[in-house]
Amino acid sequence: MILSVLRRGALFALCWRLAVECPSVTMDHTSTTELPRSAADTSTTVHSYNVRICHWVNVVACAYLLWSGVHIFLDFPELYWGHTGYRGYPAAFRLADWGLSWDEAGALGDRRWGRNYHFTFAWVFLINGLIYVAWNLYSTHFRNRMLPARDELTVAHVRAELRDQVRWRSRSHASGGSYGTLQKTSYLMLIFVYVPLMVVTGIAQSPGFTAAMPVLLDLFGGRQTARTLHTIGTVALVLFVTVHVLEVAAAGFFTKVRSMITGK
Amino acid sequence: MSNRISRRRWLASAPALGGLLLTGCTRETFVPPRVRGGLIGAADVLTMSTNRLLLSRQPLAREYSRTDVADPFPTWNQTNPRNEEYQRHASEGFRNWRLPITGLVARPRELSLDEIRSLPARTQITAHVCEQGWSAIGEWTGAPLQRVLEAAGGVTPAARYVVIDTFDRWYESYDLFEVEHPQTILAYGLNGRDLPRGNGAPLRLRVERQCGYKNLKFLKSIQVVDSIAGFGRGTGGTNSDFGFHWFAGV
Repeated sequence: MILSVLRRGALFALCWRLAVECPSVTMDHTSTTELPRSAADTSTTVHSYNVRICHWVNVVACAYLLWSGVHIFLDFPELYWGHTGYRGYPAAFRLADWGLSWDEAGALGDRRWGRNYHFTFAWVFLINGLIYVAWNLYSTHFRNRMLPARDELTVAHVRAELRDQVRWRSRSHASGGSYGTLQKTSYLMLIFVYVPLMVVTGIAQSPGFTAAMPVLLDLFGGRQTARTLHTIGTVALVLFVTVHVLEVAAAGFFTKVRSMITGK
Repeated sequence: MSNRISRRRWLASAPALGGLLLTGCTRETFVPPRVRGGLIGAADVLTMSTNRLLLSRQPLAREYSRTDVADPFPTWNQTNPRNEEYQRHASEGFRNWRLPITGLVARPRELSLDEIRSLPARTQITAHVCEQGWSAIGEWTGAPLQRVLEAAGGVTPAARYVVIDTFDRWYESYDLFEVEHPQTILAYGLNGRDLPRGNGAPLRLRVERQCGYKNLKFLKSIQVVDSIAGFGRGTGGTNSDFGFHWFAGV
């Protein structure tokens, strides 16, 4: 209960900081080098209906997945490699080594509702993701906006983008909506590499799914390895979302969030 | 042209294939005995039916080699029920312990530990997968639940669930799909020795395709029923009465 309030408070504080403080970072667009813009820039709608609906359903699903996943993890806050892992077995990670004792963690985590919400929103996430991918494979979204054009894959182009990235200058957003090569690549990797890996490491922990598909156990070398990778993947996603939100903030938080809601 | 014919043939055989896959499956196979409301209930049904569809040919859970075994096997939660009856049986080495098999079986009866040991046995080296996240591999020896029910004359046509009670006051129910699986055993041996008290002596259930909380320890009785209404809060188990999934395949 207290944690839930704290979480909402922290989320609100983060949004507020990003909204109020970060736009100042975006002031300096002056030295941006001109780069060829792709054809998609000319479209008037920034985000299609499908992209917008799927994006926000995904935000809700991921928030629940993260929160319920933390609950499940806190109920057994140790990670292992291989097929076996239990209290007393050599661990790869123990939360107790980082200051939160077993009992303290257990008091915070509720695996019962953690599991209920995790599997519920795993379905929401999966179905939403399949609709998103199917729709955008059918439409030209992936091809036009996410597949880097040939001229965007040159060393010079990527180097210029990287340089701007490091100096915290957003080029693509300033140039009217098309994604940069780095952005395109990270979105494609996220959708077609990261998400399937999270789904597979998730079900590789299930006694039912692994009985049906024993290859899930061999793929990662054991359900404890799958659980550890699933947890590492969660941390990676949190980092990705942090960068994503910072990028949005850098490009103008309200404009970008509005365009993801209204499409304009 | 040949491509079209093969496609047509495939389409024609699809329903037959589906029928074959689902032989012996009933509503209970895909839907928990009491469906919860809302999005969580819908997800329960989706999870269980997907799982059961994939398991419809009753594949075995992974069996490991003896070198993978955890010995001593970890103990967890209840390791010694504070129950007068249980303590008496334990002090007598479970010689006077009996397992009543009642309800929808042809010949309700009680089985002693020796009688259960004399049934055809199965030994399997499998992973115990706790819903908390830990897992350990053990070598379990026991009588398949199906054989135990056959010792009581087998289940009657009206039977839908097997309800198991334990000395630590837990109960859980299992549909016949789970009961019929060859790895669903009542284990009296662990790692080549008698099942230790800390792991559920004298007898514990192994349902290898479901999480730890469905693998009851300290068995007290078995009932075969057509409905789980009337047990506990009517959800089909102590865990689901507490708010867990009834089906623990994930």
